[in-house]
Amino acid sequence: MPECRTKYFENMECTEDSVIRLPNGLPGFEEEREFALIDQPLTRPLVFVQSLRTPDLCFVALPVLSVDAAYRLSVSAEELDAMGLDPSRQPSIGNDVACLAIIAIGDDKLMTANLLSPLVINLGTRVAVQAIQTGCNYSHRHPLLAEEPETVCS
Amino acid sequence: MLVVRRRHGESVLIGDDVEVVVLEAGANRVKLGILAPREVLVFRKELELTRQQNRVAAAADALVLSRLTVALDSLGMQRKTVERHNV
Repeated sequence: MPECRTKYFENMECTEDSVIRLPNGLPGFEEEREFALIDQPLTRPLVFVQSLRTPDLCFVALPVLSVDAAYRLSVSAEELDAMGLDPSRQPSIGNDVACLAIIAIGDDKLMTANLLSPLVINLGTRVAVQAIQTGCNYSHRHPLLAEEPETVCS
Repeated sequence: MLVVRRRHGESVLIGDDVEVVVLEAGANRVKLGILAPREVLVFRKELELTRQQNRVAAAADALVLSRLTVALDSLGMQRKTVERHNV
């Protein structure tokens, strides 16, 4: 695997087992089909989801279970099928799939994790889908902090 | 917001050429059929929310990242200092 250029780090060696493939890209980024997961001891629990096509595109994510330890997956049968997983049951986080919540900081400075549509990665095949959860009340803007972080005023 | 009570098999019309039919109605979910011209985009709202949220997430920069790492510290999540080499 060649070196890849990254947004937050220098050029990195992307090993085959760090690459994930999204057959349909991500909503809003449908052309982005290949990402490298950058998960380094220094930056844990953050996981960087770096596009291999666009060096300046890198999502910052957290394992869903570190945001909500009681998180329950509810992925549609079609999406399970698209990932090559058994569509008749929900996959187990950590055993069948890795599950990452993409982090965003809005104009209101509120830091949120997208629990409505986590990035679900088949650990066996490295095929991933941003799976919109069905029949649940998870928010696309789940606050990471109960209160807004203090802003430093000059 | 306009509220309309509809039964199984009934529909509402939106504008001249969009029809929404109730195909199934259960205790906590309904199945809708949507008849619309090809050029009218129809998708679940969650998809649009995800798309918007992905765009916000992609706009993060190193400053945002440093704020995030501070926040994670305050949450007590185990991590060490983030070293960003290109900042």
